[in-house]
Amino acid sequence: MSTTGAPVARRVITAWIYLIVLVFVLPFYWMVVLATHDNDSIYSFPPPLLPGGSLGANWSRLTEVVEVVRAMGNSILVASAHTVLVLLLSSLVGFGFSRFRSAPGARWMWRVVLATIFIPGLVGLIPWYVLIARLGWIDTLWPLIIPGAANGFAVFWMRQIITQTVPVDLYDAARIDGASDWRTYWTVVLPLIRPGLGALGIWTFMATWTAFQIPLIVLNSQENFTLPLALANLNTLYGQDTAAVMLGSVISVLPIFVAFLLAAKQFMAGLTAGALKG
Amino acid sequence: MTAPRGDTSRAAGPNRDTLGARMREHSTFYLMVAPFFVLFGLFGLAPIVAAFWIGFTDWDGLNPARFVGLDNYAAIVTDPLFGKAVANTIYIWIGSTVVTVGAAFVLAYLINEYVMWGRSFLRMVFLLPLLAAPAVIAIIMSVLFSTNAGLVNAFLSFVTGDRVTYEWLASTGWIKPIIILMIAWRFLGFHLLLFVAGLQSIPRELYDAARVDGAGGWQVFARVTFPLMLPIIFFSATSSTVGAFQLFDEPFVLTNGSGGTDQAAEVLGTMLYRTAFNDFRFGLASALSWVMFALIAVFTIVNSRLLRVRV
Repeated sequence: MSTTGAPVARRVITAWIYLIVLVFVLPFYWMVVLATHDNDSIYSFPPPLLPGGSLGANWSRLTEVVEVVRAMGNSILVASAHTVLVLLLSSLVGFGFSRFRSAPGARWMWRVVLATIFIPGLVGLIPWYVLIARLGWIDTLWPLIIPGAANGFAVFWMRQIITQTVPVDLYDAARIDGASDWRTYWTVVLPLIRPGLGALGIWTFMATWTAFQIPLIVLNSQENFTLPLALANLNTLYGQDTAAVMLGSVISVLPIFVAFLLAAKQFMAGLTAGALKG
Repeated sequence: MTAPRGDTSRAAGPNRDTLGARMREHSTFYLMVAPFFVLFGLFGLAPIVAAFWIGFTDWDGLNPARFVGLDNYAAIVTDPLFGKAVANTIYIWIGSTVVTVGAAFVLAYLINEYVMWGRSFLRMVFLLPLLAAPAVIAIIMSVLFSTNAGLVNAFLSFVTGDRVTYEWLASTGWIKPIIILMIAWRFLGFHLLLFVAGLQSIPRELYDAARVDGAGGWQVFARVTFPLMLPIIFFSATSSTVGAFQLFDEPFVLTNGSGGTDQAAEVLGTMLYRTAFNDFRFGLASALSWVMFALIAVFTIVNSRLLRVRV
């Protein structure tokens, strides 16, 4: 712990920072407040500051105009499937690059992987859309699951983790036992890098859960909407029903908040991995 | 150079023989990394290359494309809306980068130096907005700043004693600062986390040594802390730049896809979307996406020059 600053200054600054925290989380608190009030009290002045008792009524109005449960199902399906795919693919590819450095071409192939990290995704958006259309994937969940699975950053990160955590001796031992490299990946590497997989997994899940632009472009019918899309649609069509819109927002934020509180450590490891390990 | 086949290379001499043999020996490697290159080639590289070609055509995605040379690029640079979108994007880029990185740095410094308890709690709590979808954050903000049910107007009413019903989201002057506020709120925790980790990695002895040499508090900060933090500041500013030039969700949802009053919230990302998926001008949109690519590259270089980072 650092030792700068007089005790009084430290107390004052600490208090100020906690005050900033209060203002910082106020929008979330207020979202909950509005989600539990009827629209009359929301639009009255002064506005309500404590949660109210209209949660049930708001819920029935919300589910009347938007299939929020279905949208959540779509979001869970897309985020889970995409996360599993990213974890499997990037750990396998990362293992390949970590294990076989002397393969011809491995070095420049690795440079290609690194270069992909810096390419902004928007550049190929239009041909990407045309490709998705040709594949017959418009208005399906496939384009949200498959194409993004080749993630250069995830591969980079998995290679680092595998190189750091798996001792080379283990590979030799596995080879002596007669295990193939695929078997080694599955039975030796994957169990050892579980914390890294957890961090990458929660990060990927969150990024997929909050995605908006790609779902907006590829999904047309309400029944296929993911949560952010369903909510933006709700906001456009029924924006005056603030209570219902806020309840929908609460529902979309809640699962990821809970996941975050359960796995905050992995999550933060994931965020700093890019900047500090690179 | 023609790619040697397995059998010809064997005939060509010992060197090629070894290469072919080594490649066969490492066949597992190529199989393992293949999924990445196949998927990236198909969904990443091919569209980018194709966008370059489509950018020289007039195409609606259905009828045959017509080659038009540089017309699309000429149309983009002479379009007043493009100028507006670039200006808005740069406004939001600079505003959000300065506000987010600056606030995160100050907060990280204060937390690291002064805060007595709950540091890990603080790092967590500032991350919460990052977990919410930008589209959802835009919805929350639109309610926060709404004319009749907004907390901001309610607060101003309370302070001034008069009922304030200002239309924040319809004003051309306030929409961009509100977007900046949204971005800052969402990403503050991310940059804060990086900065706190960076500050903690600076060895205490460096500070002590500087103090022994007679440096005051400010000098220690300017000569030790800040220079050592520059690479992380550069990373922060760069990720903020790349994000700002691809900005889409926030302005789109905040203005219900309209671009705002007098297109005050039209940015490059929303202009690209509108050109492609409202007007179905795929050629023009592809050219625009390459212009955005070039701008991101240029401003990333500008960033590194400004911060004089020697990587």
